Amino acid sequence: MHKLRHIIRHEYLTIILQPSFWIVMIAIPLLMAAVIGLTVIGNQSSSQHVAEVVKSLHNVAIIDNSGLINHHVVTASKLQLAPTDQFASLRDQVRTGKLEALIVYPKDLATGRQYQIYLTSTDFTKLSGVTTLADNLLKTSLFLPLGSPQIIALAQTGATGDITMFKNGVVTGGFNDYIAPGLLIVLFYIIFAFSVSYMLTSVSEEKENRSMEMVLTYVKPRSLIVGKLLAVSLVSLTQVLFFALLAVIGYLVMVKTGNNIALPFGLAIDKISFHFWPMFFGISYLIIGFLMFAGFMTTAAAATTSAKEANNYSSVFFIGAFIPFYFITTIVTDPGNSIVHFLTFFPLTSPVITLIRNAVGNMSLAESWLALGTMGIFMLVSIWVAVRAFRLGALEYSQAIKLSTLFKRS
Amino acid sequence: MKKPIVSIKDFSLTLGGKLIIKNLSFDVFPGEVFAFLGSNGSGKTSTVRTLLGIYEPSGGELLVNGKSLTPDTAAIVGYLPEERGLYTRAKVLDTMIYFGELKGMEHETARQFSLAYLERVELADKANLKIKKLSGGQQQKIQLGVAIMGDPKLLVLDEPTKGLDPMNRKLLLDIVDELKQQGTAVIYITHLMEEVERLADQLLILKDGEARAYGSVAEVKKQFQSKSIEDVFVSIYNEKSSEVTHA
Repeated sequence: MHKLRHIIRHEYLTIILQPSFWIVMIAIPLLMAAVIGLTVIGNQSSSQHVAEVVKSLHNVAIIDNSGLINHHVVTASKLQLAPTDQFASLRDQVRTGKLEALIVYPKDLATGRQYQIYLTSTDFTKLSGVTTLADNLLKTSLFLPLGSPQIIALAQTGATGDITMFKNGVVTGGFNDYIAPGLLIVLFYIIFAFSVSYMLTSVSEEKENRSMEMVLTYVKPRSLIVGKLLAVSLVSLTQVLFFALLAVIGYLVMVKTGNNIALPFGLAIDKISFHFWPMFFGISYLIIGFLMFAGFMTTAAAATTSAKEANNYSSVFFIGAFIPFYFITTIVTDPGNSIVHFLTFFPLTSPVITLIRNAVGNMSLAESWLALGTMGIFMLVSIWVAVRAFRLGALEYSQAIKLSTLFKRS
Repeated sequence: MKKPIVSIKDFSLTLGGKLIIKNLSFDVFPGEVFAFLGSNGSGKTSTVRTLLGIYEPSGGELLVNGKSLTPDTAAIVGYLPEERGLYTRAKVLDTMIYFGELKGMEHETARQFSLAYLERVELADKANLKIKKLSGGQQQKIQLGVAIMGDPKLLVLDEPTKGLDPMNRKLLLDIVDELKQQGTAVIYITHLMEEVERLADQLLILKDGEARAYGSVAEVKKQFQSKSIEDVFVSIYNEKSSEVTHA
């Protein structure tokens, strides 16, 4: 037992004392914040710029063959509708630069849903400006008969639903019920992206730097694997706590500075609810899924001869973890689909699928238990194979372990 | 009568369907350097791994102090494997203490031993450096330090001087001599016959998994009517027959 404690401490400290560990941990949220910030600022600046271009467009001719454009809207934009028969002449003026642009709304606009723009230059900003102008003229003309500005705004942007959901005859927290188990999906990916690969690196490095043989003289292969797994789990916990701390600090700063965080679907941080079964199954799927993938990674590292070779095999597991996102709509809206059933119980996809289905509450209690049991069996098999691969391959420096050898009775 | 610390009887080993060792038997006594010789692939490392409990024997018994070794009872053994290396990203002192703890030493005892050893091999100033910052020879000294931690009763050194300069080679051989004087049994695997002549009390030459010569250095030389162990080795590997010769 004391050896296990030494292994856990050694493996844990080896990972978290690396400067690269903290650089990545700090750099990722910073980079994400920078990307989001730059995107928001860039979009705002771009929208403002286009709006300015639209305002400055006065040398633009408009021909309306559809009869849908309201001439009051056009004149309010300090522009004039041109007669239909002047099309050729106006187009020629655009070509020679006398006119900035020509917008032509065709007769079949309602069915064809397309209008023409002729532009004097290839300037992309000007193209955006003219397109925005043409869109605005059309939409405002169409919405004008609705009357009040409020109704026009409602027609343009729609409205949000104030949703009340019932379960077993009782009002639920609606989408707020999805947040806590939904965060477990995010947590799984954080752990998956960082910690699972530590298992691969840890075993591969020990093989590559040839320290394995000295260790195995004093430690059983199973103890070494379990020690590494527990150490990597602690590393994951450290990462989760670090990111949670950052999130809390970010939230407190937002609240302190008076910024309200607007969440979609009526979600509210103070209304997040924690229900026993979704949290129980979510945390169980997270832990068992993590251990299962860690087992796969250990097998890849132990059975191959180098970290590079192990990484090639590990990409299969990464693909497996991301496949569910190609079926996200089906998973959420059509849980009875046979593909969803298959992926729920298929080892490589089961952790993510079950976490998603658990979050949106479309698994029955019986199915949740069945999925947990199946995943548990796969986890045990994966760790058994990992220990076996480790025993066979730990001291095999020149050739990978064959699959047939791995499952051969000894 | 002196009791052997290592006793191997009728040991056979099959790995991946291939017979690696055939009915090997030998004893190693306390305070003795036992030269375990043979060309590459003859089965020396496999024998040592089985003795240490890393591999399971297909037949026979391999005992250390009258018991089969397991990782839990291997603390009495110091092992410097042929394929050796250390945690390159870890610090020198931390690595030595870690291995000491795996051998069952207390943290402070392992620390004191490590600092004293580093002082002796003139690496005290490198204690807090990462292993990857050390030269190959310096890393090898650390590995020897790890092997001799905890006063092992049996020391297994697999080509310990490979890659060492003459100064460090002398230092290592001096340490082996000291341990021998203190009663430690040493299984010494090497391809350098002058080391055998200088250090060994007993020797065994392995060919194709079988013992081809076994006895004291003088006995083996006499048996093969050779002036040197190198000549014995060459004559065995030039032989076609597979008869075991016990001097």
